[in-house]
Amino acid sequence: MDETSNERQRILKARAAALAREPEKSTSEAERLEVVEFLLADERYAIESAYIGEVYPLKDLTPLPCTPAFVLGVINMRGKILSVIDLRIFFDLPNRGLSDLNKVIVLHHGAMEFGVLADAIIAARWIPRSDLLATLPTLTEIRAEYLMGVTEERLVVLDGGKILSDRSIVVHEEV
Amino acid sequence: MQWFLNLSTKLKIVCCFSLMFALIVVVIVTAYLGITATTQSQQELFRENYITSLDIVEMRADQNRARAELLEMMMTGDRSKQQALERDIQERSGNIDKNLKELTTAQKDDPHFLAALQELAVVRDAYRKTREEQITLILAGKSEAARTIGLGQQEERYNKIRDIALKLEQLEREQAKQRLAQSEQRARTSLVIFLLVGVAAIIISTAMTLAMTRAIARPLTEIAAIAERIAEGELEVNVLSSGRGDEVGMLIQTFRRMVANIKGHADTTRRIAAGDLSGVVTPQSERDVMGNALSAMGSSLREITREIIEGVNVLASSSSEIMASTNQVASGATETAAAVSETTSTVEEVKQTALVSSQKAKSVADTAQRAVQVAQVGRRSVEESIAGMGRIQGQVEAIAESIVRLSEQSQTIGEIIATVNDLAEQSNLLAVNAAIEAAKAGEQGKGFAVVAQEVKSLAEQSKVATSQVRTILNDIQKATNAAVMATEQGNKAVEDGVRQSKEAGEAIRQMSVSIDESSQAATQIAASSQQQLAGMDQVAMAMENIRQASEQNVTGMRQVELTVQGLHDLGQKLKDLVARYKV
Repeated sequence: MDETSNERQRILKARAAALAREPEKSTSEAERLEVVEFLLADERYAIESAYIGEVYPLKDLTPLPCTPAFVLGVINMRGKILSVIDLRIFFDLPNRGLSDLNKVIVLHHGAMEFGVLADAIIAARWIPRSDLLATLPTLTEIRAEYLMGVTEERLVVLDGGKILSDRSIVVHEEV
Repeated sequence: MQWFLNLSTKLKIVCCFSLMFALIVVVIVTAYLGITATTQSQQELFRENYITSLDIVEMRADQNRARAELLEMMMTGDRSKQQALERDIQERSGNIDKNLKELTTAQKDDPHFLAALQELAVVRDAYRKTREEQITLILAGKSEAARTIGLGQQEERYNKIRDIALKLEQLEREQAKQRLAQSEQRARTSLVIFLLVGVAAIIISTAMTLAMTRAIARPLTEIAAIAERIAEGELEVNVLSSGRGDEVGMLIQTFRRMVANIKGHADTTRRIAAGDLSGVVTPQSERDVMGNALSAMGSSLREITREIIEGVNVLASSSSEIMASTNQVASGATETAAAVSETTSTVEEVKQTALVSSQKAKSVADTAQRAVQVAQVGRRSVEESIAGMGRIQGQVEAIAESIVRLSEQSQTIGEIIATVNDLAEQSNLLAVNAAIEAAKAGEQGKGFAVVAQEVKSLAEQSKVATSQVRTILNDIQKATNAAVMATEQGNKAVEDGVRQSKEAGEAIRQMSVSIDESSQAATQIAASSQQQLAGMDQVAMAMENIRQASEQNVTGMRQVELTVQGLHDLGQKLKDLVARYKV
């Protein structure tokens, strides 16, 4: 009897909470930013959906020799060879190795297309631009370059365009 | 009288006894003379009158007999008898003749008697002649004639003879009477003389005796009385001096000296008795036994007293020390008695303890016996438990197999879940990609975005579900692993249990053996305890005896203490006593 009453109480509370939630502000298209949120080394990052082709599981990774450390390797994505970049190197995040659950976020802009390693894809969501705060002054160099902003929820929003346009990522080496 | 006293006693006694001897001689002579005269007159009487009378009577008797025989001859006719009678008559006639002759010689001084006798002889001759004729006639057988002759003249003759004989007898009797009177007269006279002489002798002897008594016996009696008083110990006697020069006087003088001497010795003795030993006794001579003895006694008493004083001093100090020691010994004995009493009670307690331990040992023995049985039961139980362990081991192994199978199936489930999860992941990716595509499509893709959102929601739900399943599965796997581990541990535990049970069985077996030995030991202990109890009993009795002895000791020591106290007092008394003696 108690359990059922408790259960009922809990359900009722949940419903009340759902009803009490503020409806999302119906912001305009220009004022909001559609991002794909993902986990990298236990930190939440997000990249603008406009630069994302798709997300793909990290399967059959082939490491590439004679490449910088941030180049993780290449994968076969439906018959297309895609290089995978490890952003952890740039952000001095701890390397925790790889698993089958790792995902690859395929960034593309024009002719440039490569994959970025993510530990897990959380969701595709909308965030208001106004929520984005200025970058932290402690971040410098490349980290500051790639950063678009940080939300109040401590979601680090990366600038996909800048990552794609960064020439330092392009590897051109001969051995 | 003084001259008599001055005579020596010897002379006095000689004089006295000589006089008395003379008197006795006079008396004896007088008596002798009287007795001799009496004897003589008696002899005359016997010889002259008594014999004569007897002869006359004999002659008369013969005469009568002869006549009787003659008559018998006449009467009898027997010849031979007549002859025998005749011879007898002749013989009697001869006797008469002989008597007549004797009488004649005996009475030759008496003419009167002789004349009568002469007449008798004449008559008898005539009688004899006639009788001869008669005998002749009788022998001739003329008895009648003989009888006739016999009568008449013969008869007269016979009577005359008898008368003369009787007259003679009468004469002699009167003569004898006369003589007897004379003899009596003479004896009376001599008796009077004897009496007179005897009385005189007695008077003189008495006078002499009195004189001697006065002279000798009275002073001697006095001295004897004094000696009696001296013998009774009295020395305050006064011996008067007398001027006598005889032995009695000498005796008195000597007695006076002796008394003075004894008095001197008595004074000396009194001084010694009073404790004055300093006086020196000088003996009168070497033969003065008493003086010498007193002197020796004084010196030896001095010596002895000196030694006694030393000895008494030693005795007093020794008795003091003995008393102290005795006190200590007595207190020691008391302490000993107390200790013995405590020991006795302790022994009693030990005895009680021994009794308890004996009972305990008995109960231990019983318990050990029961323990043996219990150990056997335990052994059987252990064997059963080993068997049970074996069964448990088998079941545990079966459980382990089941769990392993369960684990494998969980693994399979996990794989399936992984697949589902993979599907959910892919669905999620698909939903994200769909959302991205929808966003690219802009306003037209809005509906698709909702679908993508729903797909994503489903994917999320399935992911949550798989996650829950995985969680559950993890729990199951953990539980399975734990079960496997537990089973292994159980297996090991069972093995350990089996091993331990075996060890326990062995231990119980050894314990059983030990308990057996313990049981025997306990029995022995019980027996020993019994003996110990008996021993303790004896010890208790012995302790009781010791206690009594110790009490007696204490009593004895008390008595000894009293005795020593008495000894000490005696020593002090002796010391005081000895101090009175002046050495």
